Amino acid sequence: MLAYTPFLDPLDLHTAWWLTLVPLALGISVVYKAVRVKDFKGYWGQVVMMTVQIILGIIAISAGLFLLTEVFIPLVES
Amino acid sequence: MSRTGPEETFQPVAGVLAFLVPGMGHVWLGETKRGILIGAGILGLFLGGLLIGGIDVVDRRSDKWWFFLQAGNGPVAFVTEAVNARMTASSVNNTPREVVAIGRVREAGILYGALSGMLNLLVIIDAAWHTPRGSGSGRRMADEDLL
Repeated sequence: MLAYTPFLDPLDLHTAWWLTLVPLALGISVVYKAVRVKDFKGYWGQVVMMTVQIILGIIAISAGLFLLTEVFIPLVES
Repeated sequence: MSRTGPEETFQPVAGVLAFLVPGMGHVWLGETKRGILIGAGILGLFLGGLLIGGIDVVDRRSDKWWFFLQAGNGPVAFVTEAVNARMTASSVNNTPREVVAIGRVREAGILYGALSGMLNLLVIIDAAWHTPRGSGSGRRMADEDLL
């Protein structure tokens, strides 16, 4: 077995790839809020709020697409 | 109704610095905390992408259009791509490359770098066409006010 080298070799996340959404949403929120906020009072609270909003938004979109492709389209086709 | 807040100024040096090192444009403008958070966020996302998908997720030849977005991260993206190209080239003559990401892991790694690149474009625009915000921010603006 070949040795794993961080940053050169990929992580074995094939069964849990969806977990990568959480740090992605956090990183986007950190940068976006750092650009947008007037002052840094309550900054981390806003970051957490935006992170949760992104994650819930993507879950809602994926649920909607699941219903569309697995329920509504088969209903129309049948 | 008139505007009473600080006005937007064109800061080309800050824009160039923001491209060279994410967050450095805001540090140069005197908004140190903002610059550090921006730099940590953008470089964290870019390095996170490399950690998830390996260095192969930054590849100008096989993922040309994704690399256009990743290039927004600045020189760090070009250096990473050059290292990846060098490793790929050397693997042809010697031993094969150990592991290359596939599937969702590869997609996630590429997406991290592309999103951080697009966010840095937002940061570059904010630094180059800058409006000082908050108390204690805007060293350059304060210097100009003294003149």
